[in-house]
Amino acid sequence: MDPVTAMYVAQGMHGLAYGMILFLLASGLTLIFGMMGILNLAHATFFMLSAYLCYQVIAWTGSFWLALLIAPIVTGIIGVLLERFLLRKVHAFGHIGELILTVGVSLVILESVKVFWGTESLPVQIPNVLQGLVTAGGLDYPIYRLFIIGLSLVILIVLMLILYKTRLGMVVRAAVSDADMVDALGINVPLVFMLVFGVGTWMAGVAGVAIAPILTVFPGLADQVGMDAFIVVVVGGFGSLGGALLVAIICGLLNSYGVQFVSQLAPVLMYIFMAIVLVFKPMGLFGERE
Amino acid sequence: MKGKKWLLSIVVVVCCIALLGLSPAMGAKSKFDPSKMGDMSDLDLSNPVIPTGDTIKIAIVASFSGPAAAVGDIYFASVQSVAHDYNKRGGILVDGKKKLVQVIKANHESKVPIAKKVSERMVLQEKVDVLWGTNGSHLMKVINQVADKYKTIAVSAAAVSDELYDAQNFSRYSFMTSISTSQVGRGMAYYYGQVRKKETKFYILCQDYLFGHSIAGGFKAGLKEYYPDAELVGEDYHKLFLTDFAPYLTKVKAAGAEVVYTGDWIPDAANLLVQARQMGLDLPFANLFINNPPFLQQVGIEGTDGLVHIGQIGSDGKAFKTEGQIKYYKAWNDQYPKWKKPFDTTTYEHGTGTIGAYRMQTYWLLDVIERAGSTDPEKIIKVWENDTWEDVNGTVYKMRGIDHKTERDLFIELYVPPEQQKESMNIEPYYWFKDCSNTGPSYKLPADKVTPVMDPKLKDIRKGS
Repeated sequence: MDPVTAMYVAQGMHGLAYGMILFLLASGLTLIFGMMGILNLAHATFFMLSAYLCYQVIAWTGSFWLALLIAPIVTGIIGVLLERFLLRKVHAFGHIGELILTVGVSLVILESVKVFWGTESLPVQIPNVLQGLVTAGGLDYPIYRLFIIGLSLVILIVLMLILYKTRLGMVVRAAVSDADMVDALGINVPLVFMLVFGVGTWMAGVAGVAIAPILTVFPGLADQVGMDAFIVVVVGGFGSLGGALLVAIICGLLNSYGVQFVSQLAPVLMYIFMAIVLVFKPMGLFGERE
Repeated sequence: MKGKKWLLSIVVVVCCIALLGLSPAMGAKSKFDPSKMGDMSDLDLSNPVIPTGDTIKIAIVASFSGPAAAVGDIYFASVQSVAHDYNKRGGILVDGKKKLVQVIKANHESKVPIAKKVSERMVLQEKVDVLWGTNGSHLMKVINQVADKYKTIAVSAAAVSDELYDAQNFSRYSFMTSISTSQVGRGMAYYYGQVRKKETKFYILCQDYLFGHSIAGGFKAGLKEYYPDAELVGEDYHKLFLTDFAPYLTKVKAAGAEVVYTGDWIPDAANLLVQARQMGLDLPFANLFINNPPFLQQVGIEGTDGLVHIGQIGSDGKAFKTEGQIKYYKAWNDQYPKWKKPFDTTTYEHGTGTIGAYRMQTYWLLDVIERAGSTDPEKIIKVWENDTWEDVNGTVYKMRGIDHKTERDLFIELYVPPEQQKESMNIEPYYWFKDCSNTGPSYKLPADKVTPVMDPKLKDIRKGS
């Protein structure tokens, strides 16, 4: 591969890696909204919280792999508790109450993080086995970024299998479509809601751990990636996992190739893309009008 | 008689030579004197003693939340330590009364409208005497506008864009105590073109706002002046608080750059360096703000070896040449172990570098107020314009009267592994940080080679005033 082609391929890989991070984050958000109708404005904060938990687990155990296991689970449990003891109580008061509550939770987490870990960037090292570069056909690419792509694909496949090949998935999809009908069939919909909320926050947690070694961990992490994830959900269509995947990858590629070819415009390409899509499909690419 | 005249002539000539040979420091109107420092043994940044009531009020207008929250803490630590020193001395005599120094945090959240609102609140409600800022030239511009409107002194200790003090934006109430972008750019170009004379291919990668373009412009102008043979192989500006630097770094790699010149500050500076090393890009970064210890430690000794930092405070060679320097250093460093979050990280270990620069600038500010004997802005302006002041290392700062920019020597610091850091850190433990590279060899860039640019239109405007 000549150097120019290698550069273009590398840019494509960067786009894919960033897109998959966005997908991990956005999929939880879209899943929660699609099923429960809750726009969880604390979602990106869970992502940040998980990155901090990852830092802490590594500080205690020295193992990134344990952190990858524990931090998202703890984040998911916090998500479950939030749904069970707070969101469920304000649900009866409509979306405004839920929005305000999630904003409040976001602020509480943000301030708590500062109290526990301070405001500075905290280092998370890439595990030894994932350090370094892979060289193939004249292209040098970081192993860790390939790991992110692989991890996201595995989670995507598992999620798809659960959603489309299991009874639980069927219930979830049915609840997305018509929660009242599922409830009438005797299924414990609040429990399903709680589970979905937990899985959604768990996915944000996985994204948080995955990005921690690349971005360093600091209180602004949520702001940095949260807006991009929100664009993915809006453009992909609220509630659409497929839409989130497609748009996340498009956004990642727009970002990397934008930098390559129209550097000055790169930061706004994602917004231009969002505007164009919403002009023609106001509910997003795969969103359905209620 | 003839013999006496001859002797007298020799004496006169010798005196003239001696006077010419005097360091500029000796000509400074005032200086930082470590022997006058108060008892700093109770300096606790995590539990600061902040006086209230009839005080000299300094508002730190900065980010205390969001992505750049850590920057606000750094400013606070720097200014509060100086305020603590003056308060332990009993305060400053102003307008016939000894007053303590009160530091107030004013969070602008990195947002322009909030910067305006909070600055106005500080002036109108808190009645502050000084607005001290800030991270972001676009935000400092707003602070300066507020200072100008309400006739309050503003100090640009951290915003470094030259444009803040051009004919269009100049305010006689605002003083730029920091270095400026033209100084940084020219200084780096001078180092590479006139001192090092090795690398020729440079890539500019800066943040896409006023400061980023300004610091890049300074470097380009500097290359023309001091290094015409250099080649600029690429130039990019990324959005503030960028997530993924990989696309830019791929371009840098493909362009065949030998040095990346960047003005990025944290968190961008951290992410840029971390991601570059992860991608196997081992180029030196010629930088202003890639000096925050925690992320240098994340990258490690090897990844930080060879970084080239330009600083506004430092010394040529060994850092500690006088007892006063050691006393000043220990006043901070001895207290560091007892500090709690957020001041317990290695950022705060030494109180030198960027923090050292902010501390010195604040000492200068308070020294000016002390000499003015008043917090009246007009009296402060009168003292500060064309003032010269000597810092703890003997560097003389001159406040240029015409545009309120500071002329001073700058310092190039080459980052080397711990065992070589004793070249700079010449007291125990003989290294700055044991788990990352840091300052080793350093070079002074003479003030006359790195003077900040001046907008010629200002002369006419200021004549008129």
